[in-house]
Amino acid sequence: MSDLNYVGKSWRRKDGPDKVTGKAVYAQDVKLPGTLAGRILRSPHPHARIARIDTSRARALPGVKAVITVDDTKGIRHGFVETPRYPADQEVLARGKVVYVGEEVAAVAAVDQITALKAVELIEVEYEELPAVFDPVEAMKPGAPEVHPSHPKVTDPYANVGGKSETEWGDVERGFAESDYVREDRFESHLRTHGYLEPHVTLAHWEGGKMNVWTSSMGAFVKRAKLARTLDLPYSAVRIHKTYVGGTFGGKIDLYSHEYCAARLSMITGRPVRIVATREEIFSAYRHGQPLAMEIKTGVKKDGTIVAQQIRVINNSGGFRGSGVVVIFLAWGFTMIPYRIPNLRYEGFSVYTNYPVRAPQRGHGAPQIRFAIESQLDRIAEELGIDPITIRLRNARLPGEALPNGDNVHNAGLADCIKVAAEKSGFLEKHGRDRRSPPQGTIRRGIGIGVSAYMGGTLIYPNGSAVIVKMNDDGSAVVLTGAIDIGQGSETVISQIVAEELAIGMDDVKIVSSDTDTTPQDIGAWISGMTYVTGNAARQAAGNARDKLVAVASERLGVPVGDLAVKDKVVYSTRDPSARMTYREVIAASVATRRGDTVIGEGYWRTMRDEPNHPSLATTKGRWTENYAFSAQVAEVEVDIETGEARLVKALTVHDCGFPVNPALVKGQIDGQISMALGHAFMEEVMTKDGYTLNPNWLDYRMPTIHNMAVSEDADVITEQYRVGQPYRTKEVGEGLVSGILAAMANAVYDATGVRLNSTPFTAERILYGLKALEFKAKQPKPKEKVGA
Amino acid sequence: MLDVTKSGLGSEARTRARLVSLCVNGEWHEVAVKPRVTLVEAIRDAIGLTGTKASCECGTCGACTVLVDGRPVLACITLAVECDGRQVRTVEGLADGEKLSALQEAFLDQGGLQCGFCTPGMLMSATALLERSPRPSREEINKALEGNLCRCTGYNAIVDAVLQASGQGVKPVMK
Repeated sequence: MSDLNYVGKSWRRKDGPDKVTGKAVYAQDVKLPGTLAGRILRSPHPHARIARIDTSRARALPGVKAVITVDDTKGIRHGFVETPRYPADQEVLARGKVVYVGEEVAAVAAVDQITALKAVELIEVEYEELPAVFDPVEAMKPGAPEVHPSHPKVTDPYANVGGKSETEWGDVERGFAESDYVREDRFESHLRTHGYLEPHVTLAHWEGGKMNVWTSSMGAFVKRAKLARTLDLPYSAVRIHKTYVGGTFGGKIDLYSHEYCAARLSMITGRPVRIVATREEIFSAYRHGQPLAMEIKTGVKKDGTIVAQQIRVINNSGGFRGSGVVVIFLAWGFTMIPYRIPNLRYEGFSVYTNYPVRAPQRGHGAPQIRFAIESQLDRIAEELGIDPITIRLRNARLPGEALPNGDNVHNAGLADCIKVAAEKSGFLEKHGRDRRSPPQGTIRRGIGIGVSAYMGGTLIYPNGSAVIVKMNDDGSAVVLTGAIDIGQGSETVISQIVAEELAIGMDDVKIVSSDTDTTPQDIGAWISGMTYVTGNAARQAAGNARDKLVAVASERLGVPVGDLAVKDKVVYSTRDPSARMTYREVIAASVATRRGDTVIGEGYWRTMRDEPNHPSLATTKGRWTENYAFSAQVAEVEVDIETGEARLVKALTVHDCGFPVNPALVKGQIDGQISMALGHAFMEEVMTKDGYTLNPNWLDYRMPTIHNMAVSEDADVITEQYRVGQPYRTKEVGEGLVSGILAAMANAVYDATGVRLNSTPFTAERILYGLKALEFKAKQPKPKEKVGA
Repeated sequence: MLDVTKSGLGSEARTRARLVSLCVNGEWHEVAVKPRVTLVEAIRDAIGLTGTKASCECGTCGACTVLVDGRPVLACITLAVECDGRQVRTVEGLADGEKLSALQEAFLDQGGLQCGFCTPGMLMSATALLERSPRPSREEINKALEGNLCRCTGYNAIVDAVLQASGQGVKPVMK
């Protein structure tokens, strides 16, 4: 649609000027007089009974203002999931026993950081160590050390199972029987940190019956709910203030113990309390993403058509449920969407171990399960003599297909994504080239493809967003939105939508955001739905304000509403442009004639208005979203066969993200995900031994630097379909794209070297080992053909 | 051994504060700091300029980068007392009043920032680079920014921003 002025264009970031001048305020930048320094005492053991805690020496230290243990709390539990099946399971401080190294045991508030540090050392805790378990498969075995009892509804004879997701459709056994080729593989993924640059910081100030909080967050309203509940305060007594947030990637959505502790310590001392997590604490005690073990059995026809699939996923959820029971549900979902699977049996186990609790992490199960499925699909294709593009096109869902959960993929662009990715990358010409005719030297180049799909704006508390647009009497607007800008650009996108709907300039839009007292409820920046859900609420709110302006102008001008249009802060008659009123005049008229109505627009949005609840995590029953994004990604890698070192040279992302409200922001999301995925593939691993973190810093944990940049190209498909008449049909783009590219890198490493890796990361050591194994195998005499076989 | 439960940390804290003069963005500040206070603490807490960010606090991420006498230093592992009498530049000193520097404009034009937390340090490292090498090669850019971690952008847009700011033919992608 050519008549769009703001939406669909790459406007500069609304928060940009503040961020390049140092004016943007993050939680660590908020200063209050009299602020105390808080600090957490953490468990030194992976599993131990707490026999005794003595805080008297700490309390006696001059400068210490308060010390709390679980006995100073209301004992109210919280959880990432809080449902009847999976009720809140974690206290804010350890009670009775600790279940991981770094678990929060006590907290202090003191006049300065050094005193707080010393006070923590003076707290005496007597532990009785218990046997610990770290491997989820070991933990599941009956007789394993019990972290927590298995969930009462899980009937398998397993220990330490915190939850299970289970689903089935079709007839899997018959499907395998009817298959021409069946293969089984096991894949494993590993532990990574989110890598947000801003550490966790919370400043809490209890004043006049109000808990004021500034904290690193992904959704102010979720934080408020969990903080208010654990503090046993009404929601209205807790105010989460707006701050910018220095990166999250999934790691700042849960309630963290330090947030509660800062608040509680402030209630006790009557002074502001700030707790800052050190990077070492974040690495070794905070919540990382989820390593999954995935067993996949797939049956196909000779032409590569998938007939049946059986998947078993085991998640190492750490010491509490965390988002462990969500990732086993999501791994099913990310299996279901891209390809047609007529017969499927899925079971996912979330298993307690003596590791820190796990959180969502960009993609939340998608990179792991797509890596597994796409790797296996390439092996199947090779066995059948089919190329990687053909087998994917054979199985890709087409527009309008219904999903087994009752959702519809609507105008799914997956097949187009695969075709465009193949064409643009010259995939089939490059594929297999270096294996067929190895070049001189030690560098081998390979190409691989992976696909993924992602949902947007799924129902989970608070389920929907509201936006208020207040017109100023000069015709500019103030937008009240609970949306939080964590870097994704929500303030920019919402401004573009409001500017478009109201026909005012970008500079005429002022955003007031992410403050639980002054802005309306918002879903938050964590289920990939902000542009769709909050964006549409903003469209409704701005449209509502525009309709009011037009109605007033209609009365004053004596022109029917249908003949009026808006442009550049003017309402005018399309039949007689001389019949016009500026917004300033309209608003003055509205105030004069409508009992002071200064023109305020309201808007609301929610995914699936006909669906009351989110789907069942245990049975997967229920609809998920009306809004599925699709992508195909191609990786070109180089491997040095002498050292085993591999690197991503070039990534191509072809996606159907719906209508891109701001194409440059979309590109920023893609580039960032490529970078994160190449870290996942080749560089990053949180190393642990017996529950202790061995590399809790950025020197020993290698995150991509500027030297690890890859060329990142992208293309969108079928966006023209969205342009016609529905410019806000946006889909997910902020997290799913870490997935297909991870699988593509695995497949590209194989293409370059013949080494197939079933575990991430693809380290030099693993690749070299694979190369040596191939060399060894090649030297062995060929086995004689069996007579009569 | 000192029993802090009796004497408190006052004894440690009694370490004499030093008066340190720092010329930050052209303005002299005299601050009383303990010898253990880092430059980033002095800038953020004593002087009150919070644009400079504290992240890893052990010299691994570059978020706290400021310029001391024109050279980029990691303010989290530099003691404030070491900088007595020196010229310090922070992100707040890049713009000329309301007018942003060419590099700041280029970061906005290229989408060189998302969450913005690495941005102050990134801008300072890049500013130092452009001051000593007005048209840097990609290799020079990579070398100058290798100590600055960014998790959001994948660095591509940041390199483009430096190329744009140095007039090397990269056009704005955002308006």
